[in-house]
Amino acid sequence: MSFLAPLLLFALPLALLPVVIHLIHLLRRRQVKWAAMMFLLAAQRMNKGLSKLRQYLILLFRMLAVAALIFMIGRPLAGGLLGLTGGAPDSVIILLDRSASMEEQLLATGTGKRTAGLRNLTAAIKDAYGKRSKLVLIDSATLQPVNLENAEALADVPQSGPTDTAADVPSMLQSALDYITTNQTGRTDVWLVSDMRQSDWNARGGRWASLRAAFATLQGVRFQVLAYPETSPSDLGISVERVTRRETNDKAELLLDIRLNSADPAAGPRTVPLRVVVNGVGSTLNAEMKGAQVLLQARAIPIDKATKRGWGRVELPADASPADNVYHFVFDQPAPLKSVIVSDSAEVSGPLTAALTAPLEPGRTYPSSVLPLARAAEISWEDTALIVWQGALPGKDSAVAKQLELHVAAGRTLLFMPPAQPDDTAFMGVNWTPWQSAAGDQPALVEWWRSDAGLLAGTRAGTALPVGETEARRWCGLAGDVVPLARLGGEAGKGLLLAQAARDGGNGAYFLTTLPTVGDSSLARDGVVMFAMLHRALQDGAATLGNARQKSAAVDALGAEPAAWKRLDIENADSVLPVDRPLRAGVLERAAGGSAGSADNNSGAGAATGGTGKDSLLIALNRPPDEDAPQTVGRAVLEELMAGLDWRLLERTLENEKSLTSEIWRTFLLLMAAALVLEALLSMPPRRSLAAPGPGGELKSPAA
Amino acid sequence: MKTTPASFLDSAVISRLLALPLNARQAMTGSVSGRHRSPVRGSSVEFAQYRKYVPGDDTRRLDWRTWGRTDRFYIKEFEADTNLRLALIVDASGSMGYGPAGATRLDYGRKLGGSLGYLAAQQGDAVGLWGVGRDHRQKLPAKRGAAHLRLVLDQLAALEAKGETTLLESLHEAAEQISQRALVVVVSDFFIEPAKLKHALQHLRFRKHDVALFQVLDPMELDFTFDRPARFVDMEGGEIVLADPSLISRRYQEVVKKYLAEMDEVIRTTGVDYQRVMMKEPFEEVLAKFLLSRLQSKGRR
Repeated sequence: MSFLAPLLLFALPLALLPVVIHLIHLLRRRQVKWAAMMFLLAAQRMNKGLSKLRQYLILLFRMLAVAALIFMIGRPLAGGLLGLTGGAPDSVIILLDRSASMEEQLLATGTGKRTAGLRNLTAAIKDAYGKRSKLVLIDSATLQPVNLENAEALADVPQSGPTDTAADVPSMLQSALDYITTNQTGRTDVWLVSDMRQSDWNARGGRWASLRAAFATLQGVRFQVLAYPETSPSDLGISVERVTRRETNDKAELLLDIRLNSADPAAGPRTVPLRVVVNGVGSTLNAEMKGAQVLLQARAIPIDKATKRGWGRVELPADASPADNVYHFVFDQPAPLKSVIVSDSAEVSGPLTAALTAPLEPGRTYPSSVLPLARAAEISWEDTALIVWQGALPGKDSAVAKQLELHVAAGRTLLFMPPAQPDDTAFMGVNWTPWQSAAGDQPALVEWWRSDAGLLAGTRAGTALPVGETEARRWCGLAGDVVPLARLGGEAGKGLLLAQAARDGGNGAYFLTTLPTVGDSSLARDGVVMFAMLHRALQDGAATLGNARQKSAAVDALGAEPAAWKRLDIENADSVLPVDRPLRAGVLERAAGGSAGSADNNSGAGAATGGTGKDSLLIALNRPPDEDAPQTVGRAVLEELMAGLDWRLLERTLENEKSLTSEIWRTFLLLMAAALVLEALLSMPPRRSLAAPGPGGELKSPAA
Repeated sequence: MKTTPASFLDSAVISRLLALPLNARQAMTGSVSGRHRSPVRGSSVEFAQYRKYVPGDDTRRLDWRTWGRTDRFYIKEFEADTNLRLALIVDASGSMGYGPAGATRLDYGRKLGGSLGYLAAQQGDAVGLWGVGRDHRQKLPAKRGAAHLRLVLDQLAALEAKGETTLLESLHEAAEQISQRALVVVVSDFFIEPAKLKHALQHLRFRKHDVALFQVLDPMELDFTFDRPARFVDMEGGEIVLADPSLISRRYQEVVKKYLAEMDEVIRTTGVDYQRVMMKEPFEEVLAKFLLSRLQSKGRR
């Protein structure tokens, strides 16, 4: 609790005024010479305890009334129960969601959720805690704790600025937990400012149980969730899924696959004007939209034939959420879609090579090579988009296994096919189990597959791949934590055809449980499914190759040296701090021959050697796709996630930005009134007894 | 202003009260003949009884007519009338000074006591005075005569209300020192414990004294109807009490009620004559009521 007019608190000694007046009154009481003192003393004795208590209570209530009056005119501020109970904790940890969706704003005021949350929280901390608590900020983008000198610094530090990243609430809580346990913060209030997006909270993630258990063991940790869950129904989001430069004899153009998302799934048909900027030159096109989503395929934007590489963006008209109104892209000569098949079996590698070298797009090259298992180390790791590994899984500690893990971590694709003799060797926690065969002459058919995304998704035209017609006569089982992508059914039992190793925060390797050979499956015979699957894997892996790449904004998006990158899409490139460059959407360029080699392959950001090696590296950073999903976490889910913890949800909206703290003079007014009423009740003289004997004749002498 | 007998004796009131005799409720043992019955047989005109002659009896009191009829000697006995000894015990402790100047409780007591003394002297009775107080203990034995009455009234006028009460000691002392039966009239506020008072009264009754109590009170002392808190100063020199009447008046009245009930019990068990007098009552009425009540109970031995 704090006061708008704290100087008035110096008047608090006035609360003793009733006592002083009482004492003066005592001294100034009129004097009565009294004869029947024996009655008075006896009455005093009988009344002593109650009378004293009553007198003290009257004085107490009078003092309370005066004190409440002084507090009232001092204009006290408090954050609801916060200020009135518990007092200031030893530490206050602020977990700030800096995701792109937090920039959603109220158009009338231009105030975004992050800004409103910070402003509200600053005022609340200032008013309720003052300078008595240690302030620590942990933001969703960096997850690094930052000590704050005072509440006002909250809005000033770079770690509270806007970003185009995603947020990971469990990771933020984990950082808070680490900070609390490392620094022994004592009684701690954890403030979490969030827009409650499901993608940020990841309620189905496996970390919540352990976080709950860990926080439950800590004494005096209290959670306050300052939530801005409301989303604007009129909000539109835009993203570019694919950029292709096409050149014919007479012209060159960019083909853009543009996706539009609407927060209102019931919205009627409407025309949305889009602005496309390529290398600084803008053009406009209209998109017809109906429902929650629309994909504009291969929208052609003419460019100069001489323009082989460049950057651009697509823009939506301004709406409530500016962060999803712009999407940046870069383009360049496409990198070769190189694949390597590691197999000792020519019977297997034959159809795979045929599928992988068949050109899908004109103007691109599809080199593919076959290496036996023993020469797997010869793989050209830096420019290979896809590795198909048919054979025994590499041992965990082998150099090849480590290279393969780096390959996957860099965003390239790895597809395992079963060996002739499966063993217990595991890769990414997954290992093959013995071969199984279909019962009788009937092969197993694919019963279910994931058709909305992944390698077996439907075509762009919306047609499903004929995966259900794929037959499998022999397949290997899988043991370990995998995400199924296609499942075999029928009498053959429940086996998996395709799965992906489950990994937090990244893609895992793919596992195809059968071989394309004739005796094992119809993959080679039918061809379509295998062709689509392999080329999608190749395309996915190639996304991190070449000199023009699309990436999601994240703290590690630009590798270890963000200062080496320069913004291209804004005039004053240096105005963006190096620390903010990987966090903000935009187009960045790094000169060729920089310290690219030192950039880690894990992030893939600095793998410039995967490009031509002559040109600079272009990267378009955008918000992660999940930021466009408007679904939020409700209170019921929150209760499950925070079960057993001391937490409170404070929901706010941008329209009605109710302060976390408020003037609570009314409370003191009520207190004063209550004190005065009680004082009056206690001061009220008791009802006079009618039993008092009257004079003279009313009292007869018994002897008379 | 100095108090004189003339200030508390109202001749008009006395002249009206002279019509009512001051009687004792029991036989008195006076030194001279008077209008009160004596416990011994005497030679008044009122026949009492016959008894057989025994040698040594005064032959002048033989009833010759009975001898003539029965040839036996009988002595004819008559009631002996004697005078009354009135012992006025007036409390002169500090609490008797309660009331406005000139109309204090002691002033009221002077009127009662002085008038009674005058009435007794007028009918030939002896009057004595015991002034009761820590600072003064006047003791005038009961004597007859105008000069003695004058002395009694002067002493009465000279009493001053001050100091602690010594009423109980004085009552016990009176019980011991008044040698013959007497009418003991006590004028006081009796702000003492009824149980202790009971012992003193029983002591007086044991000595065959006819005891009459005048308890002089002020209505305020019973009701405690003050409107504001005050510092109550004990008139007998005790402590000072800061009290808020609004807080304790109910308790006070409970205490008073209990005290009065105990006083009534004491009066009932000791058989003394008791008059509870409010200071605003005219003392003439009080005395008239007192004298009239004694008319009915005259004659017991």
